[in-house]
Amino acid sequence: MLSQYIANGLQAGSITALIGIGFLIIYRTSGFFHFAQGIILTLSAYSVFFLLATGQLNLPLISIIFAILFIYGFGLLMEASIFQPLRGRGASGTTLLIASLGIYIVIQNSISLLFGDDTLSFRWWSVKPGLPLLGARFTTPQIAIILCSWVILVLTWVFIRYSKIGKRIKAVANDPTLARMVGIDVERIYLWAMGLGSALGGIAGILIACDTDIMPTMGMNPFMMGMVAAIIGGNTIWGTAAGALLLGMAKHIGIIWIPTRWQDAITFIILLGFLLFRPQGFSGKRKRKAAV
Amino acid sequence: MNYLLHILILINIYIVLSVSLNLLAGYTGLLSICQAAFYGVGAYATALLSLKAGWPWLGTVAFGIIISGVISVGIGTASLRFRDDYFIIATLAFQVLLYSIMQNWIDLTQGPLGVSGIPQPLILGWQVSSNGGFFLLSLFFSALTFLFVRRIVNAPYGRVLQAIREDDLFALSLGKNVAAYKVSAFVIGAMLAAIAGSVYATYITYIDPTSFTVNESIFILAIVILGGSGSVLGSLAGAVFLVVVPELLRFLGMPSSISANIRQILYGTLLVVCMMWRPQGLIGKYSFQKDGSNR
Amino acid sequence: MTDKWFEIDGLNKSFDGLQALADFSCSVREGEIVGLIGPNGAGKTTLFNAITGFITPDAGNVTFRGVELIGMPSHEIVTLGIARTFQELRLIRRMTVIENVLLAFTNQPGERLGNLFIRWRASSIKEAENHKRAISLLEEVGLAEKSHGPAEDLSYGQQKLLSLVCCLAVGANLLLLDEPVAGLAPHMIEKILLIIRNLQAQGKSVVLVEHNLEVVMQVCNHVVFMAAGKKISEGTPEEVRNDPSVIEAYLS
Repeated sequence: MLSQYIANGLQAGSITALIGIGFLIIYRTSGFFHFAQGIILTLSAYSVFFLLATGQLNLPLISIIFAILFIYGFGLLMEASIFQPLRGRGASGTTLLIASLGIYIVIQNSISLLFGDDTLSFRWWSVKPGLPLLGARFTTPQIAIILCSWVILVLTWVFIRYSKIGKRIKAVANDPTLARMVGIDVERIYLWAMGLGSALGGIAGILIACDTDIMPTMGMNPFMMGMVAAIIGGNTIWGTAAGALLLGMAKHIGIIWIPTRWQDAITFIILLGFLLFRPQGFSGKRKRKAAV
Repeated sequence: MNYLLHILILINIYIVLSVSLNLLAGYTGLLSICQAAFYGVGAYATALLSLKAGWPWLGTVAFGIIISGVISVGIGTASLRFRDDYFIIATLAFQVLLYSIMQNWIDLTQGPLGVSGIPQPLILGWQVSSNGGFFLLSLFFSALTFLFVRRIVNAPYGRVLQAIREDDLFALSLGKNVAAYKVSAFVIGAMLAAIAGSVYATYITYIDPTSFTVNESIFILAIVILGGSGSVLGSLAGAVFLVVVPELLRFLGMPSSISANIRQILYGTLLVVCMMWRPQGLIGKYSFQKDGSNR
Repeated sequence: MTDKWFEIDGLNKSFDGLQALADFSCSVREGEIVGLIGPNGAGKTTLFNAITGFITPDAGNVTFRGVELIGMPSHEIVTLGIARTFQELRLIRRMTVIENVLLAFTNQPGERLGNLFIRWRASSIKEAENHKRAISLLEEVGLAEKSHGPAEDLSYGQQKLLSLVCCLAVGANLLLLDEPVAGLAPHMIEKILLIIRNLQAQGKSVVLVEHNLEVVMQVCNHVVFMAAGKKISEGTPEEVRNDPSVIEAYLS
């Protein structure tokens, strides 16, 4: 039974890792807590649902790709139409956060309005017993989810580390002023970061929907877990992945001792614990202002 | 007429909530998304103590204030170690935690079922039962909150809070115990929010966790920001605006199932629009902009 | 004029492997103006931060009138009698000039919540008093006309003057001024030097970090030269100027 929990924990952790890294890229590069990332997940899942269920595009794989492209474009739209102009007016990180909150509220309620509050599903496959593997049963979707997550995670890491854009993203993340001085088009990098972060969030949303029903509020908890993973991971990609796995495992193995309904609370207790005792997370150093 | 009074009662409750959050967020610059949690603490304190233990309403209010005070001292002190943006996340964490407790500690709060049949207040021989009565009660507390907060923000205390918001290192270098000021603002905000909760619980006579969610905290923050951070009058205006306008939608014949969504889309959009074109809000004097630019 | 008034002993601080302060020691007497000079990155601001509790040194002591400062919270150090300014000119720009000064006064009953309701009259009276004190301080430096305008409307030089006034309003006995005359026109520099000399006349002490060596020669009784976190030389302005190790440190 334990191995089953570990399997579930691995699944949750893998998805959370994607969410966390998407959030992290936006946070480190654009410099604000992009709360609306929580609804990006949801929007993405509903997009797939819309494309499939309304027969617009009956090929699942194509629908998924379209949805991801849509979400990527949506991220670019947010950045270009809202965050970029705000920055031009001297907005602080807090202002951007508040705008992001507003966006979250608007989209969540729009989805509610268009699709209703009841749960929906775009799953077309039948539920089959899973493949036995290391004492646990992994269903095919589960395996797909875990593999997809990690493949994308590694691809993202490679992209950030080795590609030209990726290096520029890192440069802007470290010091936007300096990056501008060496000739990097910082605005373009912000677009890249928001697009990439949104796409990662979108993929995560679709992966979640492969295993659970969707509803307008589905994004908040996974988003918060992803955010917590990024924070306790010390704001690095692999730290976030580690933090995400920790949280996923804690949540699912914790079932042994703690009733399911307290699981989300555990995530936040872990977060608070880290913030209090180890604010630099697993890895990486953050410059901390003199705390008062 | 009853309907009008109902609106006014809600406005008064939101005045208390927003003015108290403004003290914390607008004046001290501590953006908090857990005001609804303290609102809930006050509401549940009143609901449970008056229903199950027969306490008089004022007693439950006092208890709610004390419990909120104690919790907020703990949260406030812990959260102040964090940089600005992490402080917001810490308050979010507490909001989710406190909501989780309301939802899941079924033995205490009855969880998602909520608490119904909350008795109406009997205050010094006055049985409050009509909307008129509740209007006076809520007006009393909103006026009290307004005057109280206005006094402290116009005093040297308020000056220090604003200095902390602008440059807390500078305030520290002048010998101000910045951490103590921040915690005090946080605690006052929490205690006032609890009062609003007590009034709400006894007026609606039924409460459940869904009234005290993250979205509600964001709504209260929206009132503060749209009305004007750093202006007590602004919160008043914001509360009136954000309670009245969605109700007008109801008058236009919109079914209530979608009016809730429309109301939220409305204030969500206003938040974004406000940040873009009028970050200081309606009557505000302060916007969360970078130092000096673009008031 | 006691010898152990303000003592720094063996202060060490490193950041990420960089030694910002290396076994730094020195002392200040009452009524003395000390100049702290050295190349950029010598650790002068770090020293100020360590003294005032903005950073915690790795080792060493700082005592003021016998009280150990290391480990004490910054705001308490101020109440003991040490105030500072910042190299990057900190002020509350959105507040008015006079509000900045009012902010700086210590012992304001109106800052304590309880007093705002129980001892309201005492608070108002003190606030009115402080208002008068603030105006007279601003008059002394010629800023009184601008007192009700926002601080950000002042020129750079006036803002520097204001930050000095705020530092004075704190009423400290030891003032640490970080580049008080940098970037100022000569008449402004004169104003500020006058204020500093006045402080000395009142029995207070000033430590100033400065790159303007002329100013340092003019106004300081004692000069400390530091580089790479270490004290290289100290003595009268003349002595330090002629010290070969100082010349060498500047050239290297």
